[in-house]
Amino acid sequence: MNSSIIRVVLGHVLKIEAAFMLLPCLIAVIYGEEEGFVYLAVAGGCAVIGTLMTQIKKPKDSSLYLKEGCVATALSWIFLSAFGALPFWITGEIASYEDSLFETISGFTTTGATILLDVEALSHTSLFWRSFTHWLGGMGVLVFLLAIIPLSGGSNINLMRAESPGPSVGKLVPKIKSSARILYVIYFFMTVLEILLLLCGGMNPFHAVTLSMGTAGTGGFGVLNSSIADYSAYCQWVITVFMILFGVNFNAFYFIMLGKIKKFFSVEEVRWYLGIIASAIALITINIYGTYTSIWETLRHVSFQVASVITTTGYSTADFNTWPMFSKVMLVSLMFVGACAGSTGGGIKVSRIVIMLKTVKKELNNYIHPKSIKKIMFEEKAVEHEVLRAINVYFITFVALYAASFIIVSLENYDFTTTFTSVVATMNNIGPGLEMVGPSGNFAFWNPISKLVFMVDMLAGRLELFPLLILFSPKVLKDLLFSNFIKRRS
Amino acid sequence: MFKKKDAEKSGMNIIIVGCGKVGATLIEQLTQEGHDITIIDLNSKKIEAITNTYDAMGVVGNGASYSTQLEAGIEKADLFIAVTNSDELNLLCCTVAKRAGSLAAIARVRTPDYIKEVDYFSEKLGLAMIINPDFVSSRVMARILTLPTALNVTSFAHGRVNLVRIEIPDDNVLCNRNIAEIGRDGITERTVICAIERDGNVFIPSGEFIIKAGDIVSFAAAQKESRVFLKKIGFKTNQVKSCIIVGGGRAGYYAADQLLKAGMDVRIIEIDQARCERLSELLPDATIIHADGTDEEVLKEEGIEDVGAFIPLTGIDEENVLLSLHAKHVSKAKVITRITRNNFKEVITELDLGSVIYPKYITSDAIIAYVRAKNNSKDSNIETLYPMLDSRAEAIEFKVEKESEVVNVPLFKLSLKKDLLIAFINRNGKIIIPKGQDSIQVGDSVMIVTTHTGFNDIQDILA
Repeated sequence: MNSSIIRVVLGHVLKIEAAFMLLPCLIAVIYGEEEGFVYLAVAGGCAVIGTLMTQIKKPKDSSLYLKEGCVATALSWIFLSAFGALPFWITGEIASYEDSLFETISGFTTTGATILLDVEALSHTSLFWRSFTHWLGGMGVLVFLLAIIPLSGGSNINLMRAESPGPSVGKLVPKIKSSARILYVIYFFMTVLEILLLLCGGMNPFHAVTLSMGTAGTGGFGVLNSSIADYSAYCQWVITVFMILFGVNFNAFYFIMLGKIKKFFSVEEVRWYLGIIASAIALITINIYGTYTSIWETLRHVSFQVASVITTTGYSTADFNTWPMFSKVMLVSLMFVGACAGSTGGGIKVSRIVIMLKTVKKELNNYIHPKSIKKIMFEEKAVEHEVLRAINVYFITFVALYAASFIIVSLENYDFTTTFTSVVATMNNIGPGLEMVGPSGNFAFWNPISKLVFMVDMLAGRLELFPLLILFSPKVLKDLLFSNFIKRRS
Repeated sequence: MFKKKDAEKSGMNIIIVGCGKVGATLIEQLTQEGHDITIIDLNSKKIEAITNTYDAMGVVGNGASYSTQLEAGIEKADLFIAVTNSDELNLLCCTVAKRAGSLAAIARVRTPDYIKEVDYFSEKLGLAMIINPDFVSSRVMARILTLPTALNVTSFAHGRVNLVRIEIPDDNVLCNRNIAEIGRDGITERTVICAIERDGNVFIPSGEFIIKAGDIVSFAAAQKESRVFLKKIGFKTNQVKSCIIVGGGRAGYYAADQLLKAGMDVRIIEIDQARCERLSELLPDATIIHADGTDEEVLKEEGIEDVGAFIPLTGIDEENVLLSLHAKHVSKAKVITRITRNNFKEVITELDLGSVIYPKYITSDAIIAYVRAKNNSKDSNIETLYPMLDSRAEAIEFKVEKESEVVNVPLFKLSLKKDLLIAFINRNGKIIIPKGQDSIQVGDSVMIVTTHTGFNDIQDILA
């Protein structure tokens, strides 16, 4: 395995993290908080280590094959989280390193599950960094890397492929660098738009910025203990709309950027996605009708919760723990569905679900006409056999990993709903589940082993399983540990 | 928005239909030069393999269909290159593309029937270029065989000037003498030594450069003069009189046609009866032999031992390589080996295969020269730009359109950049090999050879 190119990628990732850690320093200056020095020191450390890793020795061969792409991606995310967690721990705002790591992984993977009992006790600096991890993790740090750093060769698509969600990853334009830039331009522009709209609603600028970053990455870290419940109805509607938008396939936004608005609505995945949201809102609204004073309030809360859950954001304005069983089951089902491929959201993804359902339909049809041949069509194109196979294997792996995690954490003997939804909420990068981990709860009560399981689940969910799982393959582990990769680093 | 500017700066939007051998070579070289490449092919596996290796975007579909072309971004494309297997499809692709966007189109056309009508096609269909690798390679073969002591021969300025590569043997008159001395003796009176390859490096020689045995020297001269020069330095210059071609496919046909035109006696060995009959209709002057050309006895019977040149052109590279090695072993014939796939280039260069020809590089070089010239033409007056010696040096032809510091000044007064020389001046079709007192005039085309890159204007030659 070409471990020197992996080292270089990791070095660049650390340098980027160092640069971004200067942003919380800026916040510290604004609010006059001492925590800024910790961030500055950690940023300096990351910069030095990153520079050493990229400069020590230039790699002879800069090609990244699929294996190197996956390993580099998985390790990048682990490094990113390991260093990103340091400030929380050093400032003492989170007592243990494993909790800091949980919080940071939850941030970067845009999960939004927290171990904090009192969010409001955190300094502005740390709150900002916590929300910023969502923003960076949403579109992906390697996509950012590809947008700014000239890595030669076309094989870098393997980095993007390992990091971007969805069954098949394509480029928007011929050059990977331009594609990555377009994605970040759309992402940045939409985030700014949301900040402006929230400011119009009279929200405090700090809240507007952090909440927008949380929405953009479909993360879910709030800055108040009550999540979004205490903001005005206008702000809640703005966040609802933007959560739904950030769950849309970014390729569709590229059509809007090109001025082809009609094409936006003709993307099959987007139509299914919007359809699922609309029907879920309708069904839940009927189910809980009467709980809230007016129909508008009901609609607002239902829309918010549905949008938050399907895009795997995890903000809440109401405690859906108290809703009727049908509504809760609907929401948990939506957690599995997830957002569109190529968005910042998590979950299994609408396109995978739709293709799997179409496979079932085709199989049923085969019972009626055993000799019939029918290609599965998606986005007006026949789905390649390879893609179908990959989706099926993905689903099986998802279920297997889910079952394994579920069994391990069940050892702690909490109630079924809590155990079940904790794994759902972390693997699909949502954040809150039901009962003890519901919108008003948190993950602090789990013991470190369960937390470790959740951390692996969050990373596996964000990186779509295989890039992370490949790290556990004995061949790759051996290559990593016994190659000169480690030696060069120390 | 941000992206558009980027693309304008860095290159053109190019659509390539077909990812075969030529297609893949083009993609490799054009992505390296920073162009935005979109490829179209029916085979999704091929598309995936290419997009995994090169920074290009792939579209699966029929390149001649308008909607596929739209998907590939035909509206913004600057250049459209069709290199699928089928001539008709290539022509149709280009015809559709020409209507869909304002772009230049290049098609690969290989069938002999169409090649005779190249000019008609280019004009009526508005094609920028029609390429035919087999035909171009056959021209190269003919040039090599008319000057068999050369390693290879490239032509410039519409065939008026040849660039000839020769290997200097031990005890040659040029050995251990510097360029200035050789010039004083009048050996290089109407030629210019442009580049010297030694131990894998390319040198653009100055007056003090000393030539050694084993150097590979490239010199430029008007067509007739190159033979005179070779005679002066003691090389044999008679052209090959007879040749054996194994394999009568398309490549064999084009080669035979060119060699017959050069006045050689051509024998084609072809295994297929029907093809033999067809060849005898097409090439009445050639001797067509219906036999297995890979049979040693057959080759011996047809006189491989005393033939002037031997060219294996079967459809299989491995077979051609073996035939060449065999020919080198049993005879003194000049051997030309054609390699159509790009695998194992290092090994191939180590084998004694005579002159090696890579049709797909010849083709892609021609297209890339066109692309560079087109890409440069916006803000420079480069007419053509030829990569030389595996792109380690470039030959650039400038059109001198206006007065400047370099015009009307005797060349010895100009201080030129290092590693650069003026190969020739083309003044209204008359080739001038420049001496110190010659000068560049407005209206000339000037060819320079250099290892530098990034030239835009003739003034860039000044130090």
